Amino acid sequence: MIERIQILCFAASYGVALALEISRLGFRSAVRGVLLWGFSVAGFLAQTLYLWHRTRLADGPLSSPFDWYLLAAWLLVLAYLVLAYWRPASAIGLFLLPLVLGLIVVAALLADRTPLAVNRATRAWGALHGGFLLFGTVAVFIGFATGVMYLVHAYRLKHKLPQRRGLQLPSLEWLERVNSRAISLAIVMLLLGVISGAVLNTVRPELPWSDPIVVSSLVTVAWLVIVTLFVVVYRPARQGRKVAYLTVASFLFLVFSLGAALVLNTKHAGLPEQPTDPARAARSAPLEFERRGAA
Amino acid sequence: MKVRMVGCSHHNASLELRERLAFNPLQTKAALQRFRLTFPQTEAVLLSTCNRVEVYTAVDAPDEGPSHEQVAEFLAGFHGVSLYEVFDDLFERTGDDAVRHLFSVAASLDSMVLGEPHILAQVKQAYQLAMQENSTGPLTHAIFQAAVKVARRVTNETSLHQKRVSIPSVAVAEFAAQVFEQFDDKRVLVIGAGEMADETLRYLREAGARQVTIVNRSYERARELAQQWEGRVAPWDDLLSELVRADLVVSTTGAAQPVVTLANYQQIEAQRFQRPLFVLDLAIPRDFEPAIGQCLQVYLYSLDDLKAACDRNRRERDAEMPRALAIIEDETARFMADLHHRSTGPIIQQLKRGWQTPKEEELRRLFNKLPQLDERGRAEVEQAFDRLLNKLLHPPLETLRDESRHGIPHALLDAFKRLFQLMD
Repeated sequence: MIERIQILCFAASYGVALALEISRLGFRSAVRGVLLWGFSVAGFLAQTLYLWHRTRLADGPLSSPFDWYLLAAWLLVLAYLVLAYWRPASAIGLFLLPLVLGLIVVAALLADRTPLAVNRATRAWGALHGGFLLFGTVAVFIGFATGVMYLVHAYRLKHKLPQRRGLQLPSLEWLERVNSRAISLAIVMLLLGVISGAVLNTVRPELPWSDPIVVSSLVTVAWLVIVTLFVVVYRPARQGRKVAYLTVASFLFLVFSLGAALVLNTKHAGLPEQPTDPARAARSAPLEFERRGAA
Repeated sequence: MKVRMVGCSHHNASLELRERLAFNPLQTKAALQRFRLTFPQTEAVLLSTCNRVEVYTAVDAPDEGPSHEQVAEFLAGFHGVSLYEVFDDLFERTGDDAVRHLFSVAASLDSMVLGEPHILAQVKQAYQLAMQENSTGPLTHAIFQAAVKVARRVTNETSLHQKRVSIPSVAVAEFAAQVFEQFDDKRVLVIGAGEMADETLRYLREAGARQVTIVNRSYERARELAQQWEGRVAPWDDLLSELVRADLVVSTTGAAQPVVTLANYQQIEAQRFQRPLFVLDLAIPRDFEPAIGQCLQVYLYSLDDLKAACDRNRRERDAEMPRALAIIEDETARFMADLHHRSTGPIIQQLKRGWQTPKEEELRRLFNKLPQLDERGRAEVEQAFDRLLNKLLHPPLETLRDESRHGIPHALLDAFKRLFQLMD
């Protein structure tokens, strides 16, 4: 049964959950909350099973860009479920679910990339590198979502606009707190990710230091270091709209960095090849594997 | 069974009269004890709030229990007021009207500020006090417990309670709470010490605000307010330095000119390091120059902004009223049907007992004639008799239940008594 779970299953569940979140803006419904939870949790469970099944076939949850993006989406859904549980009246899903779907789409686009090279000596550093970057990325995404929420909410309060039905947001203080914590976590995680990546590449040199992914990651981390220094030196940047702007800008830098893997010629995630080993074929072409599994 | 309510409320009685008839908790206890002595067969609950004084009585026999006049006399007598002075202002509800009234009161549909949350706690408190004084009984238990359930249903199924309409409550619950997550670590600065400041402080205090500073031209009045709300007083000249420290400002002075101008604020703006400042300017004319609202991280709300929100809430709440009233009607009908059905309980019990004896005699006779029956066979026969009895009793009991929806079915109960020779 697990083999029959496809990306489309959980993507569609999240899509329906997002449509339900959007419908909050239009009308009230007594059953929407139950449906929303039902679809979100169903999608989350399906994705969990899918990822678990992938770990049995592939070299690990972080062994390919495809798995990495799906795992990032999974963590983001987990964050969404936790936040939605604590703040059921807030339209948090309206801001987080599009990011989840975006990550799943990018994963699907990268499905034909070859898995990252696995070698016993580099396995530990590779897992650390992937893990740090994964948590850093999820933190930036959460920071971005809460940052946008903060800006929307601050604009509404500043201009004394009535709270629109279905678009209830947490308080500015809460958004700012989550926002600044997310960006702090992202800075630490991404920095450690880049450092572990550098170690990895020193132990087993596979990538040129001028690889677009390496360069764009360094630019992102440099930006985050600048943000940190800015916040330390300039006190007003520690709160309010400035934090929100900084997290939105950090997200754009991260998107630029992640986008480099999609459009630029990089060796970080190998370009499509024709594998001969069936297990490797499953790792490198999950969509093809899904099609066969479903058949 | 008779349920009655006699009392007065903000709808029909002046504040002076309500004050004269009001009971504090100690007086309530004493009154309930005295009521119990005067009318020993009657259950009673006394609800006294700033908007109403109501005595709920219930008695099993319809022709027993105190009349409207007797309850009115009791109320007036307890407070040493002449009955003639208050009688016209006391109204009465009986039967399902009394139940409907209590349900509406508990659900805050009868409150001065529709949907205000305190009344349910006050109803519960009145009921608990009556329980402590042993003046409750099965009827008042049923009515008050149902009232609490109905109030919760109205809260859950309508948005009536989410919409506030008083300016200070809207200011705190709908605006300040959107800026601040918690209030216990926020510095509240109150400029002026009038009634509006007092009321806003009540809501802020309920929301958790602890650090309150009051600045007023009259130091004495500021000190009184500070004592009341456990705050501190700052001299008027320190207004701007207090503004640097504040997170939330409530301004209610009667000054003819703005108390804080844009130039004043710009003097201290840099010292705040763009910390959010939420200003509730409840004064007319305004205390804060409107241009201050354009400054970074300042959320300035005037009385007009809040009034607009109050009016919007009032409209939305009015739209919810039909749903809330439908719930009250539905629950009242259900409760009264249950209550009436309860009154048929003794007859049903008698009927069941009356059939039980012949059943047991017949079984005994049958088992004597069939000694070869084993335990299992006997059990089967007993179950068959029970089923037959239940099937025979089902139609009359159902009819009794149906008829109870419209009141106590006296005629039917009479017919049952005669048909089945049941005794009272």
